[in-house]
Amino acid sequence: MLQLPSLETLNMGAALPAISIAAWACILLLIDLWIPKDRKILTVYLAAGNLVFAFIANLLVFNQSGDSFMGMYVADQFSGVMNLIIIGTALLSIVLSFDYLKRVGIERGEYYVLVLFVTAGAMFMAAANDLILIFVALELLSIPLYVLSAFRAPDIRSEEAGMKYFLLGAFASAFLVFGGAMVYGATGTTNLNEIAASAGMIIASNSSTSLFLLLGAALLLVGLGFKVAAVPFHEWTPDVYEGAPTPVTAFMSVAAKLGGFGSLLRILVVGMSAVTMTAGEPAVWQNVVAILAGLTMIVGNIVALSQANIKRMLAYSSIANAGYILMAVAAAGSPGLANEATRGALVYMLAYMFTNMGAFAVVIAVERANGGADLEHFVGLGKARPMLAIMMVVFMMSLTGIPLTGGFIGKALVFATTLNAGLVWLAIIGVLTSVVSAYYYVRVIVNMFLRDAEASTEEATPGYSTGVQWVAAVALGGTVLLGVLPTLITVLTDRVSLVASITP
Amino acid sequence: MLEITPNTIAFLVFALLSVGGALGVVVSTNLIHGALFLIVSLFGGAGLFVLLAAPFMAAVQILVYIGAIAILIIFAVMLTRSMTSLSEIFNRQWWISAIVAVVMLGLLLVGAILPVWGPSGTNAMLPVSDAVGTTVDLGIALVDGNQFVLPFEVASLLLTAAMIGAIVIARDNE
Repeated sequence: MLQLPSLETLNMGAALPAISIAAWACILLLIDLWIPKDRKILTVYLAAGNLVFAFIANLLVFNQSGDSFMGMYVADQFSGVMNLIIIGTALLSIVLSFDYLKRVGIERGEYYVLVLFVTAGAMFMAAANDLILIFVALELLSIPLYVLSAFRAPDIRSEEAGMKYFLLGAFASAFLVFGGAMVYGATGTTNLNEIAASAGMIIASNSSTSLFLLLGAALLLVGLGFKVAAVPFHEWTPDVYEGAPTPVTAFMSVAAKLGGFGSLLRILVVGMSAVTMTAGEPAVWQNVVAILAGLTMIVGNIVALSQANIKRMLAYSSIANAGYILMAVAAAGSPGLANEATRGALVYMLAYMFTNMGAFAVVIAVERANGGADLEHFVGLGKARPMLAIMMVVFMMSLTGIPLTGGFIGKALVFATTLNAGLVWLAIIGVLTSVVSAYYYVRVIVNMFLRDAEASTEEATPGYSTGVQWVAAVALGGTVLLGVLPTLITVLTDRVSLVASITP
Repeated sequence: MLEITPNTIAFLVFALLSVGGALGVVVSTNLIHGALFLIVSLFGGAGLFVLLAAPFMAAVQILVYIGAIAILIIFAVMLTRSMTSLSEIFNRQWWISAIVAVVMLGLLLVGAILPVWGPSGTNAMLPVSDAVGTTVDLGIALVDGNQFVLPFEVASLLLTAAMIGAIVIARDNE
């Protein structure tokens, strides 16, 4: 019969950060009804306050590792670090959104509620230790994002973005569910630890069951590859990123990747690392992921070269960045390297979060001041708004991976672990595509400083609001700090060990 | 020889509903009628599930297939008004459907008669697995802290979010 478990046996405290955000999203939905239309900033404060609470709660439970909900939810240092990055992303994008929503005239309380739902979904994804929870959390992450993409609804591009994202996203979800069903059929369980326990046996038995397991793993990879915008599942990215409201683009370019890679690392490293042809060899999925990573870096960086719209360019740049993170995922397939690779990926994602949020903050400011986000709108920015332009320079340098920025540390760690895994060809592709990427990142800098605007921007409209200013400054601080003092974050990530969580 | 028990009568009724409904879907020229016949056919299928001692499957059949999918089809037909009455039963792709239907029927017949996919005939009375799952077990599993309470709650959150999203998109802008 049903026995009511106590809070202690459920170990709910470990899942507190994610639960508090999910619960507060529901409450905020009700509170928002009583907030008058001209004072929606209260909703922003309430949402941001909740995120700050969750951030602190997450720091408090950081070292308290353990299962919650009987192995459904794993609160270890990996989800701890992921949660910090995810909450940071949500906080920055909420601050970024308020001014934008007001300017465009789509100021509605539901926006922040949906952002909180996405945040909770991403956190559940990073901590999920069960295929069922991974799927449900993925949907909790995705569905509000579809809505947010179409939030500027009468605007045709925003509607198109939402519709495209929704249709292709639903398609990808089907792959994920089907993959989960295959894996369940092969192993008889959806729990990742139990999958890991039986996967080795299944592969060793060399029966037809192993085919189902491999097919299932491949389909899971397709479903999550779509979420993180890896080639060849990336086709939706530029259109959606361009059409969605810019703060939403900033948010989803980071949040969806975080959730996707969180789950991907857990599925592949925790659940599938025993899937090897002969014991001691790298896992069979390593080559597949490595090829995906290579393709993603090549296609993302090369197509980005020809983009004239900064939002589209950043979309391809985000595809390329997914490739660099996939490199670390591939490296995690080598025995003994899983933890090092995971740490590298975490640092990379943190650096990417700061850099990307900052770059989008600048794009929002330029959109507001110059009326668009084409490369042309950045011409002469160095003279008109030197501070903004200098910030953008740092973000572009960080995306390229130039030393003293966070992007460099992330890339250095990822390349190092790829070399340790023996994937030299992949590391070479990574370095070469980084060099290629410098071209289009530097082009932005050139446009800002070395070209003068034909029409002088005399009447300097207030370029950016305090919110955008703050986000850009925080992102700048984070990017530079991470680049100069990487120990600040490696102190946290060095405790991350995904593999240790296999032994219950 | 077939003995007439209440079970047999019920089976015949449900089978008739199922097959007759399916036939109605295929031959009716009015798409609305076709969709209604589909409901009849699905209902027959639900009855067969009851006879097979799978009440949960029967409930799902009614809730999901009749309650959601068939209604969705009717809505779709009503929204595309020009399609409601057709003059032809056959269209150019009829042979594709015919091939698929014949192959499906063949596979099912083979599966029912020959023991290719496990025991058939009287041996089919053997349960597939020893674990007997009932609707009660399923319900408990969904809210049990040891099992699936967290995905269940996250799924409810998800539905809330989806509903809010639908309203946000559909609502007129002031």
